[in-house]
Amino acid sequence: MFLDKRAAARTAAVPLQRLTYLLSFVAPGVLVYACFVLAPILLSFGYSLTDASLFATRTRFVGPDNYLRLLADPSFLTSLKVTTILTLIIVIVPNVAGVGVAVLLDRAGWLYRALRSVFFVPVVLSSVVVSVVWMAMLQDEGLINRLLGIRVGWLSDPDLALYSIGFIISWQMLGFCSVVYLAALQGVPQSLHEAAAIDGAGSWTRFRKVTWPLLAPALTTNTVMLLITGFKAYDHIQVLTAGGPGLGTTATVAFNVIQVGFTANRTGESSAMAILMLVIVATVSAVALRLLNRREVDL
Amino acid sequence: MNKAIVLATAALTLAACAPAGSQQPVANGKKEISFLVFETPNLTPEYWDAAIKRVTDKHPDIAVKKLVAPSAGERNAYAKQLLASGQLPDVMQAIAPSGLAESGNLYAWSKEELKNYAHPRSNPLGGKIYQLPYNSQPTPLVYYNKKLFAEAGVDAPPKTYAELLDVSARLKAKGINPFVVGGGGKDAFAAGYIWIALVGADVYARQPDFLVKRRAGQVRFGDPAFVKATQKFADLVGKGYVDKAGLSRDYPSTEKAFLDGKGAMYPMGSWFAAAADAGADAGKPPFEIGVFAWPTDDGQVVVPSYTGGGPIVNARSRNLEAARTFALEFNQDAANNDVLVQSDAAIIAINGYRPPPMGPVYNATLEVFKAGKAVNAFTVETGDDSLLPGVGDKVFALAQEIIAGKTDGAAAAKALDAEWVKAGGR
Repeated sequence: MFLDKRAAARTAAVPLQRLTYLLSFVAPGVLVYACFVLAPILLSFGYSLTDASLFATRTRFVGPDNYLRLLADPSFLTSLKVTTILTLIIVIVPNVAGVGVAVLLDRAGWLYRALRSVFFVPVVLSSVVVSVVWMAMLQDEGLINRLLGIRVGWLSDPDLALYSIGFIISWQMLGFCSVVYLAALQGVPQSLHEAAAIDGAGSWTRFRKVTWPLLAPALTTNTVMLLITGFKAYDHIQVLTAGGPGLGTTATVAFNVIQVGFTANRTGESSAMAILMLVIVATVSAVALRLLNRREVDL
Repeated sequence: MNKAIVLATAALTLAACAPAGSQQPVANGKKEISFLVFETPNLTPEYWDAAIKRVTDKHPDIAVKKLVAPSAGERNAYAKQLLASGQLPDVMQAIAPSGLAESGNLYAWSKEELKNYAHPRSNPLGGKIYQLPYNSQPTPLVYYNKKLFAEAGVDAPPKTYAELLDVSARLKAKGINPFVVGGGGKDAFAAGYIWIALVGADVYARQPDFLVKRRAGQVRFGDPAFVKATQKFADLVGKGYVDKAGLSRDYPSTEKAFLDGKGAMYPMGSWFAAAADAGADAGKPPFEIGVFAWPTDDGQVVVPSYTGGGPIVNARSRNLEAARTFALEFNQDAANNDVLVQSDAAIIAINGYRPPPMGPVYNATLEVFKAGKAVNAFTVETGDDSLLPGVGDKVFALAQEIIAGKTDGAAAAKALDAEWVKAGGR
């Protein structure tokens, strides 16, 4: 009986020891994630339920007031609209152009290898650098207008600035999309093209019926990445327009979070914006991922 | 063994999470302080480095870690970000003390420490002075291209608003753009100078405490005087006197546009005189630059201006004594101020200070400043009479809308009142 108890204790101790040992490997990642992702989200949610200000000596619990006020605030609703338009541009343009560029670059030879690098260069550039360069070119008296012989306020016209920013971010993301599509294209078996050709399919039909379906995983990756890029757009806007010209014409939600938090000092309200944005991004990304994954399975 | 791994992991993670402020403040036996600055075409990295060195040469026990704000226009928001992350610098140059001071983050200068200043009671917050009031800046004056004026047959700067309209019409008739403005990119503030000038001339000249009353809810931006001033701005745009291209130019490009002769008048702060004189020394621009105060309806000379701009000190600095010493020395060092006068056309407000010999644009600026009636410069105030947090940015955004021709005086004033309420005002 005594021996049985000792044996049972030993068998219980081993998994505990092993668990501790395994936890020591998991702990760094979990702790870093908890410190830098979970804790800030939880803190932000906590702040969003208060009237916290950067300089307030006292903070009151206000419940859902910040959220209710935001949903009736025209400038927040405008920033949601701006974010949606910008995200649509950023999801559609690099995806469409990326497929085209990838098809053009899907050839052997040093020139095409070199061109792949050229298209990828903007991706590795800092968005601030990209913005400064484009800002110089898009000034009313800048290179683009001079080359085209026109006088268009690419960044100075409140009706046009958002689309200019969308184009610039799309240009920067084009290389990323192209590389992902190119990798997918190179995984398409040549035998399928040959079989389709024997069946009488022309090049467009082969692309539509063979290539495009097999690019589905790449489309999923690109779309989700571009959705996130669009929703969190901040740095290009800060450099190119600072949310203007005018009241909020290019101010995304991410931009407003910083402005309201660090210029207007309304930390509680800006935290509520950030949480709403988190919910929107998570929902849209999850839905997009689910739809695109289902499409992959169906295909 | 396992315990050791767990402990080491925890220690490493905690070390990674430790704030920067917990670092040892003494470096090589010196008291280390951080100093937040900002760079402009006038205030270059070389200027800051040399100015800091002059002070540390005198106080070898102080080591200075220079921090640079992302841009001049973003320096206040950047200071708040540093505060939020527990890294408020020990000394900060030209950061608005409003908000920081009331929450107990700033050191209030004593009467003794302020005894050398010409205007020691500038921009009080709750009766205390947090920012060393060492520099007066007329904001804006109107700098003009004498050659383009001559081409339009204008031989003297306008003295009344009616004359300004006449000069603008004559310039435009000759195909010359009357006003160069900025406001592009991150430098939205550069869109606001015509509006600041008009508010100074038409509102503050009659109601110097307008913003104090606005804080008390006794006046509104929608009141007739403010709307009239704003509508004048919109009318200048409507007549085609303001170059809309400015909305695509950042601040340095705006300055360059005027120096390149892309317009006849440039409403800008007095610091522009430094660039104008420096350009003249280098043989560029190929024209003379004059200066006048924005004209009022009746010809009274009114100069919107601001005296302050000096360092503020973090009251919770680990090396408070060193921070205070550095700030005062940096601010009162004659050689530093000479360089500041030469590089940024500063009008030093320290008793007994004599500026070095300067160029004609600086001297003309000083003359206009001394001859005019000083009023606050709208949006630039930093004391109890300042705009509520965040409203300044809305003023500049609305100035952009006016320049773009998207709004008029009444609508802009109404929008400003709405932003005021949103910012917590009455």
